[in-house]
Amino acid sequence: MEENFLNLTQVGAGTEVRVSRLECPPTTCQRLREMGFCENALVRKIRGGADLVCWVCGTRVALSARLAKQILVEHVDGRS
Amino acid sequence: MNQDGKRRWVAVVGNPNAGKSTLFNALTGLRQRVGNYPGVTVEKRTGTAFTLHGEAMELIDLPGLYSLNPRSPDEKIAWQVLHGESSGVPRPDAVLCVVDASNLERNLFLVTQVMELGLPVLVALNMVDVAEGRGIRLHPQDLGQKLGVKFIPTQAHRGKGLVELRAALGQTLAHPGPRQWTMPPPLAAAVGQIAAAWRESLPAELRAEGKALELLAGSNSGPEGAKKLAAAWRERFRKEAYDWSAAVVHARYSYLQTMLKEAGIGHGVSGGSWTDWIDAVVLHPVAGWGVLAGMMMALFISIFSIASYPMEWIDAGFSALALRLQGWMPPGILCDLLVDGVLAGVGGVVIFLPQILILFFFLGLLEDSGYLARAAFLLDRVMHPVGLSGKSFIPLLSSYACAIPGIMATRTVEDPKDRLTTILIAPLMSCSARIPVYTTLLAAAVPVALVPVWGKAAAMLGLYVLGTGSAFFLAWVFRKKMFGGGSPPLILELPPYRCPAFRTVALRMWERALIFLRRAGTVILALSILLWFVSSFPRSSGDESINLAGSYAGQLGHWLEPLIRPLGFDWRIGIGLVASFAAREVFVSTMSIVYHVGGEGEGLIQAMRTATWPDGALIYTPLTCLSLMVFYVYALQCLSTVAVAKRETGGWRWPVFMMIYMTGLAYLGAWLVQLVGHALGF
Repeated sequence: MEENFLNLTQVGAGTEVRVSRLECPPTTCQRLREMGFCENALVRKIRGGADLVCWVCGTRVALSARLAKQILVEHVDGRS
Repeated sequence: MNQDGKRRWVAVVGNPNAGKSTLFNALTGLRQRVGNYPGVTVEKRTGTAFTLHGEAMELIDLPGLYSLNPRSPDEKIAWQVLHGESSGVPRPDAVLCVVDASNLERNLFLVTQVMELGLPVLVALNMVDVAEGRGIRLHPQDLGQKLGVKFIPTQAHRGKGLVELRAALGQTLAHPGPRQWTMPPPLAAAVGQIAAAWRESLPAELRAEGKALELLAGSNSGPEGAKKLAAAWRERFRKEAYDWSAAVVHARYSYLQTMLKEAGIGHGVSGGSWTDWIDAVVLHPVAGWGVLAGMMMALFISIFSIASYPMEWIDAGFSALALRLQGWMPPGILCDLLVDGVLAGVGGVVIFLPQILILFFFLGLLEDSGYLARAAFLLDRVMHPVGLSGKSFIPLLSSYACAIPGIMATRTVEDPKDRLTTILIAPLMSCSARIPVYTTLLAAAVPVALVPVWGKAAAMLGLYVLGTGSAFFLAWVFRKKMFGGGSPPLILELPPYRCPAFRTVALRMWERALIFLRRAGTVILALSILLWFVSSFPRSSGDESINLAGSYAGQLGHWLEPLIRPLGFDWRIGIGLVASFAAREVFVSTMSIVYHVGGEGEGLIQAMRTATWPDGALIYTPLTCLSLMVFYVYALQCLSTVAVAKRETGGWRWPVFMMIYMTGLAYLGAWLVQLVGHALGF
C-alpha cells in the first residue's frame, strides 16, 4: 500500500490529511514529531509553493518542500 | 527562601513564542543583571522578582525549547541549567513553565518532560485571551488536577495574572504528581530496569524514570551500572528496529490528546483569522518581497530622518559643554585633553545613539509582531541555493544591529556546518557600529543640500545590500565548496501576529542604550584619551597640523601610508583604520581628534571636505569616501566580535580565518573601487 501514500507537497492547500509515515533522518523525524507531526496526527496544509505552511497541533509550521516530500500522508476520509 | 535559607532560583522555560520573555520582563522589570540581545533568547539571563509578600527570588530566563532532548546549542544551555550543570547558576529550586494557552497540546508536551526532572513545577497558562479568541474554552483547575501541577492563567503582554502568579510563586511549590502518560511495554521494561539501577541514589521515582529516559537517549551522567543497562537496551531496540524515542513522543502526545479532549479543549480554528489574511500578502511570492523591501526602506529612512533631531540635540549639548569647559579652564594640556580627547572622542560616538536605538526599536517590533519568522520563511528560498536554511536569517538580521548577538543567535541553528557558515558571514552584515562611519562618509562625500533624505537612505541601503550580497556569496563558497553537504531542511513555527509589547521593546532599547553608553564611557573613552595622547605628543610646534604629523600617531600613519595609498587613503585615514581595529565606530571619534574638531559632527565633515593632499588635491573625494565605505563594509574591525567568535567556535582557528579573509576582502574591495573609479574618469 506504500505506493498509494502521498507526500505533503502533493496535496492541495486547504486539505486536511493524516500523517502516515516520516521518511527523514532520525533527528529530523524526532524534531518533526516533537512539533506535532507524529504518525496519525492531523495536518492541514494552509499554503503550498516552494516552501509550505501547515496547521498542526494548533499552530502554523513552515516546512521546506524538500522536507515535506519526506512526510507521507493520507486523506482523512481514507482516499489516497 | 529555599531549604538552605538562601534566595530561591526559579527557571522559566517554555516553547518559543509562548510569551516567556514577555512574562520574564513583566516579573523582573529593570532588575535584570545580564543583558539580553534582540532576536531570540540565546543566553540564559537572570533577574530578580518578588512574591506578593516581598520575598525576592532569582528568575532564570532560558531559551525557547520544544523538548528536553537538546539538539541545538541554545537548547543545550537550557538543559544544562535545568540539570544544575551550568556554571554560575545553581540548580533551580523550581521551574515556571510558560505555555501558550492557544496551543496547549504541543506546549504541554514539554511540560510532561519538565515534570520528570524531580523539581517543583508551576505552569503559567499564558495568552488566554488569544485562546479564547480562537474559541478554546479553558479550565485551569481541571487541567491542573488532570496533569498534577498548578496552572495560573496569565496575559503577560497586558500584565494580567501577574498578581496570582507572584502569589503562587510565594507559596511552597509542590512536586508534580505521578506520571500520567503510559509507557509502551517494551520501553516500560527498559526504563524500569534502568531506573531501578539508579533509584538508590535518587530521591524520587519520577526523577529516576526521567533519568532513565535521558540515559537511553545517550546522556553520560549516571552510575556505571545504569549506563551499561541503558546501552544494552539501546542495542536491543536497534536490533529489533524498535524506535523507542518515537514511541515516547507518541505516548506523551496520545495522553495529552486524550486529556485535552476530556477537558473539552480543542485546537481552535486556523482559517479566516487575520493572521491568515496578513500571511496571504506577507508570504506571497511577489508581494511578500515588496513588503520586506518596504520595511527595510522604512527602517533606513527612519534612521536618517527621525534620528536627525535628537542627534542635533546631542551634538549641540557636547558643543556647549566644550565651549563652557574652554571658558572655565585656562588653555593647556588638561583643557586639550578634556575638549579634544574626551569630549571629541566620546561625543563623536554618543551622537549616534538615536540611530542605534531606532534600529533596535524596529528589530523589536519585527520580532514581537511575529513578522521575523515570516521574513525567515521568505528568505529560505534565497538562502537554500547558497546552502543555508531560513533559520540562519534571524542571526543574520540580528547582525544588522550587532554581530555579537548575531553570532550568539546562531545557537538556534542545529546543523554544525550551517552554524559555522553563519558565524563566518555574520560580521559582513552591516552592524550599527558602521552607521556612524557610513553617515559621516556619506555626508563628507556629498553635500546635504544636493541629496534628499531618501537618496541618502538609498545609498545606505546600497551599502547594506553590498554586505549582504557578499555574505550570501561567501556562504555559498564556505557551505558548498569548503564544508560540503546539503543545506538542512526548514522547520519553523510561524506565530500568530500580535500587537508588539512596547514595554518589552522599550526594555530591550534601554538595555542596548546602557550597553552602548557603557562602551562609550569605558572602551571608547580610554581609546579616545590614548588617541589624544598619541596624536598630541611629542609636541614640536604651536601649529596643530605640524604637531599631528610629528606625533606618534602621525608617525604610524605615515608608516602605513604606502600600504593604503592605492586605496586613496592618506596617513590620517591610516590612523583612523588602526585606531578602529578594536571597534569600527572609533574611526569617527579618531577623525574628530585627528582634525581637532571638538565633538561637532558638522565640524568634522567640514574638516574632512577641506582636507587636502600635499599637492592641494582633495582627500575625501566621492571616490575615496566610497572606497573607505567599501573597506568598512568588509573589514572585521571589532575585537568583541573576534572574542565571541572564539567562544562560539571553541578556538582561535575560525576567528583568525575570519579576520584574514575579511581584511583581505576589505583591501581588495577598496582597491577595486579606486581602480574602476579611475578607469571611469572619476
